[in-house]
Amino acid sequence: MTTLQRVWRLKNTILNLVASRCSSCGYITYPPKMRCPVCGSRELREEALPREGEVLSYTVIQVPAKGFEDFTPIIIALVRLGDAKVLSEVVDIKPENMSVGMRVVATVRRSAETIDGGVPYVVKFKPLKL
Amino acid sequence: MRKVYVAGVGMVKVGKHVDKSLRDLAGEAALKALEEAGNETPEAIVVGNMLSSLVEQENLASLIGDHIGLRGACGFKVEGACGSGGAALMTGYSLVASGLFSKVLVVGVEKLFERPSNDVIRGLAYAADADYELIYGITFSGLNALLMRYYMNKYGVKYEELAYWSVLMHKNGYKNPYAQLRNEITLEDVLKSPVIADPIRLYDSCPLSDGASAALLVSEDLRKATDTPVSIAGVSNSIDSVDLSSRLELDHLLASRVSAENALRIAKVSLREVDIAEIHDAYTITAALSIESIGFVEKGKAPKAWSEGRFSPGDKPSLNLSGGLKSRGHPVGATGVYQLAEVVMQLRGDFPGVSVPAEVGLTQNIGGAGSNITTIILRR
Ligand SMILES: [Zn+2]
Repeated sequence: MTTLQRVWRLKNTILNLVASRCSSCGYITYPPKMRCPVCGSRELREEALPREGEVLSYTVIQVPAKGFEDFTPIIIALVRLGDAKVLSEVVDIKPENMSVGMRVVATVRRSAETIDGGVPYVVKFKPLKL
Repeated sequence: MRKVYVAGVGMVKVGKHVDKSLRDLAGEAALKALEEAGNETPEAIVVGNMLSSLVEQENLASLIGDHIGLRGACGFKVEGACGSGGAALMTGYSLVASGLFSKVLVVGVEKLFERPSNDVIRGLAYAADADYELIYGITFSGLNALLMRYYMNKYGVKYEELAYWSVLMHKNGYKNPYAQLRNEITLEDVLKSPVIADPIRLYDSCPLSDGASAALLVSEDLRKATDTPVSIAGVSNSIDSVDLSSRLELDHLLASRVSAENALRIAKVSLREVDIAEIHDAYTITAALSIESIGFVEKGKAPKAWSEGRFSPGDKPSLNLSGGLKSRGHPVGATGVYQLAEVVMQLRGDFPGVSVPAEVGLTQNIGGAGSNITTIILRR
């Protein structure tokens, strides 16, 4: 179970979707790393990902982990944002309307309560309405 | 490096052991392995385990070592999520191969049925990235479901083709006295089982399990004393990202390929020589990814292959004669040691379930969603 302090520490990467881009080979990773997983370079720079993207894969969790009972069924997707991928929850949609390839946009929503009683806000995704 | 032999193995039946504690399970498997090896006293004990903190117990090597009379021996726990057993075997192998010790006991143990299942499901998700995945409520089944849908979509593989793996595994596990789920099932049973994390259903998944398995690893000079024909010809472990987000490929397990290639190279064995293998089928998709990443078939082809009878008992390689994680069960940190014990028994010709004649065996134990993988080559 997470804590307020832990979520606070992650506020920049999670809320602004900050990835790390390798200055040597160009590989981009989210979550950010300290050394490039492809070429080993330590010359990485922070880069905010686009907030719109496409669902690469998704699941609908029916049997939750402790602490997420109120959110179940939980739709979790791997979303392609520019050159990177981000895993998060998809909201404002019924599970049966989900599809691979659908366009989604980042939105700030509440997450499950921390063990010290805080209500953290994180980035989730919702369907992009054109 | 010195050659390393498996002098004895011991397993406890996988299942729900309300009447046995973590130390009882580990001790029972350990003493069986030592008994098989002529009651040699090991100089070191390496424990593979992932989640003993769930039962408020760490310091496992000391706890289990003392329980079986090994005060003064070397000991520690090795952790690599669901791949802890394989990682512990690699560590034990290294202690013998290096010449540091001549007799090393490796014990894999897991005790899940001490806590309510939602606690256990949360605990298993500790193998995921807590900051960037678990915070959204992902489960271990959920991560594998993401891989499964991606795979089905990319290769046009039907759910039923993947699900058929479970039917095959129950057919093998039905005859394994150490297996947890000893019942034959039909494809319809899988299709009618409840959804856990769409597209994964209950019967696509391994069960929750308690269990322990052990092996005594010895050097060449002790081989005759213990009269064993089976050696560890090669072993390798490899890591990948914990998070799925930054993986280079979602339809290929890098750590599976790298550890398999290295283990085969060390063993001087080609993949075509492998007679039998125990692979890590936590979910049907894990079976497909493992089979393809090792290189038994091309990407996207495993479900079609097993649906057409490939990998069944007698084929080369025959896969998961034990019933695999699906039917034998998956006592998380013990699973890698079960796989080794099963293949050792197959090579010796005394496995008490479905068995085939074999000279070369392979085991692959997977931690996380492919992030910590050990491959072992055994030879008689
Ligand atoms: Zn790079």
